[in-house]
Amino acid sequence: MHVFGTELKSIGQILLVGLILGAGLPLVFSAGIRAMAWGTGGDTEASGAGQAAARPHPMGRVLAVMCFVVVLAVVALGITFIVASGFGKALSFQHVVPTLVDKA
Amino acid sequence: MNSARTPAGPGYRPGGRDILGAVDSATVILVLVVVVALSFDFTNGFHDTANAMATSIATYALRPRMAVALSGVLNLIGAFLSVQVALTVTNAVLHIQNPDGTPRGDLVSGGGTALLIIVLAGLTGAIVWNLLTWLLGLPSSSSHALFGGLIGATIAGLGWGGVNWVGSGDKPDGVVGKVIIPAIASPVVAGIVAAAGTWLVYRTIVGVATRYTDQGFRWGQIGSASLVSLAHGTNDAQKTMGVITLALIGSGHWTSTTSIPFWVKLVCALAISLGTFFGGWRIIRTLGKGLIDIAPPQGLTAETSSAAVTLVSSHLGYALSTTQVTTGSVLGAGVGRPGATVRWRVAGRMVAAWLITIPASAVVGAVMWYIAHALGGGLLGAVVVTLILIGVSAAIYVRSRRAPVHASNVNDDWDAPAPTEQRPVAA
Repeated sequence: MHVFGTELKSIGQILLVGLILGAGLPLVFSAGIRAMAWGTGGDTEASGAGQAAARPHPMGRVLAVMCFVVVLAVVALGITFIVASGFGKALSFQHVVPTLVDKA
Repeated sequence: MNSARTPAGPGYRPGGRDILGAVDSATVILVLVVVVALSFDFTNGFHDTANAMATSIATYALRPRMAVALSGVLNLIGAFLSVQVALTVTNAVLHIQNPDGTPRGDLVSGGGTALLIIVLAGLTGAIVWNLLTWLLGLPSSSSHALFGGLIGATIAGLGWGGVNWVGSGDKPDGVVGKVIIPAIASPVVAGIVAAAGTWLVYRTIVGVATRYTDQGFRWGQIGSASLVSLAHGTNDAQKTMGVITLALIGSGHWTSTTSIPFWVKLVCALAISLGTFFGGWRIIRTLGKGLIDIAPPQGLTAETSSAAVTLVSSHLGYALSTTQVTTGSVLGAGVGRPGATVRWRVAGRMVAAWLITIPASAVVGAVMWYIAHALGGGLLGAVVVTLILIGVSAAIYVRSRRAPVHASNVNDDWDAPAPTEQRPVAA
């Protein structure tokens, strides 16, 4: 029965990492869009009745760019991961900065 | 195919000459196996275009033709990136290869005809099932079809013992551990991830004008769909590469078990990419319009979930079906958006197709093996099986023309025409 235990553990791992990447990235991306809308102002943010259209906020644009950079960086890592595993390499996060190492 | 002229290896026997005179029959069968394997690779491509691109097409993030072209190119690149040796492709489910990737000794005597016939019958079963599910517009797993066809042909040819049902029992292996359990778990996991992502995204963008957010999310969709296409090329093309190389080794035309002939990699990459570019519009329609009425944020979360779950699992050694992961993700994206409707009837049909994919392609694979066997198990059998495959494929194609789905009607409303349907935002 311990085979099923191994299998369940793998499924749990996939779910956890899947949630961090698969749900986390869209969250960061949508935060970027939200920040960009705040930064752009005007009618991008649906304003309530009687409220004036929002002013642009430069800070919002900065936040948005930061969010998009994070997303792009993770995607770049993802592509590196695909390419690396194709060439018998693996991504190592042992030294925090991701580096390519030979596969174990 | 230069290597075909310099046969080497223990299994090679220049005997068995036939009507074609100078060419021995095992070589002709080998050519048939390679051609049929590439046809499978092609159906694998157009069956799975939907996984990456259905959501982007449905939300008008990309024009249909543009989407399939992008996916085709990325599949081509992906296939070349997969230099990992995929030779042990059958080891998870069958006992026709040794652990190092060489075929079992008793299958390669006489030019490897016994092995070639099993592979040919298995591939035929896989293609027939892929085409049938395409006709019905059902996204089903090409990998499962391939495994199913090979399992059926192996049972017919070698008996039940030829199939690796549960492996040795100390790690997840065999049909149960490597195929069935992942098949049940992966759509659920992908669905949970996509539902969580969708819920979070819709919470985040509350109050921002839809016109504004949709524009941004379309870009996100294109990015995430591209990642899925790339991952698909690396995952799926190498299965066919493995099968062809196995046939080459079995017939004595290739000996290395640590590398794949370059021409095999080239033709497999081209076949899957061409298939993707051809576009399985019927399946794209089901996945993009049939399950849920997908909006750009949902497209982004569904594809990101698919990419993340596929990549993480292949890192852990589980070759998941991208089809099942994507379907689970799209359903999850529907569940995660408050107020969205999910057409569970359509989802139910898909799940039914998944359940019978392996048995159905196994039955076809087994029947094909028996036909080939009854005809002597040699060249004649192989030719007849190939002709049957061509006939069935032609019949399915003709049937599909009665209600064609193509780039210009792929996005038509799923139910009766609803005039209030969301229109494309000028992009």
